[in-house]
Amino acid sequence: MKIQIYLLVSLALSMVFNACETDKDIDTEKPVIDISFEGAKPINCETLYFGEAFELKMLLTDNVELGSYSVNIHHNFNQHSHSTEVTQCEFDEVKEAVNPFILTEDYTIPDNLRRYTTSDLVTIPSGNNDGLYDEGDYHFFISLTDHEGWSTQKGLSIKILHR
Amino acid sequence: MSKSLMLVLCMVLFYKLSYSQDSYTLKGIVVDENNVALTSVAVVLHPSNKGTITDSVGHFHFTNLQAGEYTIHISFIGYKPYEETVKLNGNTTYKAKLSVAYLNLQEVTITDNYAEKRKKEESLNIEIVNDQYLKQNLGGSLMNSLERLPGVTTIDIGSGQSKPVIRGLGFNRVVVVENNIKHEAQQWGADHGLEIDQYAVENIEVIKGPSSLMYGADAIGGVIDIKNRKTPINNRYGGVVDITGKSNNNLLGSSVMVYGRKNTLFGSIRATLLDYADYKVPADYVDVYGYKVPLYNNELRNTAGKEQNLHLNFGIIKDKFKSRFNVSNVHTKSGFFANAHGLEPQQVDTAMHDKSNRDILLPYQQVNHFKVTNTSSYTFDKLKLMLDIGYQHNFRQEWSRYGSHGWMPPVFPDTLDFHKNIEREFDKKVYSGNAKAFYALNEKTQLIVGFNSEFQDNQIDGRGFLMPAYQQLTMGGYAIAKHAISKKSMIQAGIRYDYGRIQINEYTDWYQTQVVEGNDTTMQYLQRADYMDRQYSNISWSVGYNYNPGKWSYKFNVGKSYRMPTAKELGANGVNYHYFRYEVGNSNLSPETSYQLDAGIEFANQTFAIGTTPFINYFPNYIYLNPTPYHNREQGAGFQIFEYTQSEVFRYGGEIHAHYEPIKHLQLGIMAEYVYSLQLSGKKEGFTIPFSPPASALINLKYHRTRISVIDNPYLTIDYRLTATQNNIVPPEEVTPGYQLVNLGMGGEIKLGRQKVMLSMQVQNLLNREYLDHTSFYRLINVPEAGRNFIVNISIPFSGAI
Repeated sequence: MKIQIYLLVSLALSMVFNACETDKDIDTEKPVIDISFEGAKPINCETLYFGEAFELKMLLTDNVELGSYSVNIHHNFNQHSHSTEVTQCEFDEVKEAVNPFILTEDYTIPDNLRRYTTSDLVTIPSGNNDGLYDEGDYHFFISLTDHEGWSTQKGLSIKILHR
Repeated sequence: MSKSLMLVLCMVLFYKLSYSQDSYTLKGIVVDENNVALTSVAVVLHPSNKGTITDSVGHFHFTNLQAGEYTIHISFIGYKPYEETVKLNGNTTYKAKLSVAYLNLQEVTITDNYAEKRKKEESLNIEIVNDQYLKQNLGGSLMNSLERLPGVTTIDIGSGQSKPVIRGLGFNRVVVVENNIKHEAQQWGADHGLEIDQYAVENIEVIKGPSSLMYGADAIGGVIDIKNRKTPINNRYGGVVDITGKSNNNLLGSSVMVYGRKNTLFGSIRATLLDYADYKVPADYVDVYGYKVPLYNNELRNTAGKEQNLHLNFGIIKDKFKSRFNVSNVHTKSGFFANAHGLEPQQVDTAMHDKSNRDILLPYQQVNHFKVTNTSSYTFDKLKLMLDIGYQHNFRQEWSRYGSHGWMPPVFPDTLDFHKNIEREFDKKVYSGNAKAFYALNEKTQLIVGFNSEFQDNQIDGRGFLMPAYQQLTMGGYAIAKHAISKKSMIQAGIRYDYGRIQINEYTDWYQTQVVEGNDTTMQYLQRADYMDRQYSNISWSVGYNYNPGKWSYKFNVGKSYRMPTAKELGANGVNYHYFRYEVGNSNLSPETSYQLDAGIEFANQTFAIGTTPFINYFPNYIYLNPTPYHNREQGAGFQIFEYTQSEVFRYGGEIHAHYEPIKHLQLGIMAEYVYSLQLSGKKEGFTIPFSPPASALINLKYHRTRISVIDNPYLTIDYRLTATQNNIVPPEEVTPGYQLVNLGMGGEIKLGRQKVMLSMQVQNLLNREYLDHTSFYRLINVPEAGRNFIVNISIPFSGAI
């Protein structure tokens, strides 16, 4: 009887400790978006201008292999959030959107890279068929993935103005 | 079901033996404290050693008894064991009133009660609880209240809603059955709960392991079987008023039920109302995808909700025929955490959202689940026929302020037939039918043959597209044989064939999207879903063995189960704003199959018990949503693309439970659960599967007496829960740190004049710990679980003669 109980307990315990077995090496690290270096663009609270193009400068890194990234710009006239950055920007008065600018772009990264500096030209037109775009507070949102599917997001507060 | 068969067998047997002149009959009925008849209760008569089980109206009888003194021993799950001596010197009628025993870890100590019998006859591992257990462990929703059971976890959203997970498998892999009909809603989604009123639940069996055989395809992970089987005794009416209060989300709730029976007709009606405010977490801010969101008064903005439920059931009960209708309507409206809906904390007007913690503003969801079912049975000598039919209408809407995503126009056009603030709408109608026959071949062998079929029609509406509308027909037939090799051992085997057909409707956007092809840029209405017609079939099987030599019991089961891919898995093609993902289906998915080996070993004596229930499981083609390295440009705001894919998965794990009674009235219990999953192939080889629950253990101390001063059945319990860190993650999950929680419970019954009042109180998260639940919906945005919560439930039963 005692032996059977011991057997039962040891069986149960071995099940628990099996939890600690080592697995095949898997990637458990997320990629990183770095805009803290000199010359990074855009940075938090920066002002961009309609009718102009700028070069996207971000340093993307991963421990194994980078995937792809996307950029989204949308208005923040209602000042809906804080950015991921520590610095708080000065916002304009809250206002209703009339003809806000919106942009979504996705970009590929060459295979087998662990480190990549972007150099994409992003053009911000001054208007569309409905007229000039609204100027004011915008959000600049970046999403980065690695080859395994891990992702990181970064949200910046910017202003886009007409010159 | 085998109990009924046993009963029939016993009755036939006793009937035939009872034609002797100087033998008497002992008839009786078993009722609870409210005079509600209890069915399937084990009744044993000593020293005759005869045993029987009460029928569907609580009656039992023993025939062919000699005059003399007998001891009746009655035991039933959730009730105190009953023992009384009767003198028999003529035909006697006897009424036994059982009083509620508070269910706990030590629920199974008596060797001949219902749960024990059921467990010994079932080769899969099961947990059985009743309404009393639910009241003592009342959580925000039915599944929360069951979470304490080993092997059961939940996927929660907010404080009032959750979905079941059994041993790490959830969504469409767990079947919920209410009154024999499979509950059908939008099982694929983690963002809403199970549309079941926990106040209306009398008895629940949780079957851990593949149960496709009887419950149909989908039951790969297990079954939550809700059985409302109480039938009032004749010429009585009664009811119960429940009042519930919770401090964390200021919940106020009440459920009132009235029942009655006159001769062969019986019925009951219940209404439940719940209203709760935003729930509080022990944190001043949460970190939503890198955005720091301050919380006003520790409240999760806009997570208030309300629930209004109505139930009606009525039926007819005769000697051999029983038919019961259940009509219910469950309606919930609940807010989504305002800062976490959409690409980022968009359009949150904190002044408006923080003005009141009880209002439900955009974004919110509204779910209405209407259900009509009928279960009927007819009992012949050796044969019992059962027929269940059901109709369900699940209607769910997600409301959020219009925001143009992708190429949606910035200003919503007024030419469309849906409201601009309806993000998604699902309108699902389900027709189900089951037929089942039990046949006793001989005393040792029973056969069960059955057929299930179901038709689903799911329509969609709203401005956002995630999954297509579809129609689905499924049917299956099965045969199961149970054979008692000896008094101590039993073998059961079964086979099932399933056929299913799903037709997915095409869907085209209501707005135009800019498409760039070479040098041409055009605006096009994009087709997001193609028409699809798929047929699947499968053979599943199961073989089980039980061996119960005295204090030890062993069980063993091996089986194959199966599940068809869902419409979302096949045809999703849109943004899931809850998760900031672009989700894409895969029309080439094969049906998911699973092979599982289950075992159970237990030792139990009067004061001590220990047992373990391990399992090993293999999926050749587990379906899951895999995050890819790619982004979508057209539809979202550059969201990451997630695709449905399949891989080989190996899993093992189990539960351990032990309890010990060092001194009378005091019990110490320990339960632990563990699941390990590993993907053996595919894109995420080496990773676990999504939503893997962490290892956890529960240590419980319970003190209970039959009476202290004016309080009947007082109890005091302390639960200490230890949950391990979950390091086994797969993108996009994050490592969730372990935590320790203390919960208190106490209660009892008091009499105010002649009125009995039952009180149960709890303090959940006594130490107000800030912790994350790995499988919670809001885990990915780092929202901690609810802080300290005082819960009080008052039950006032009443009854009388008609």
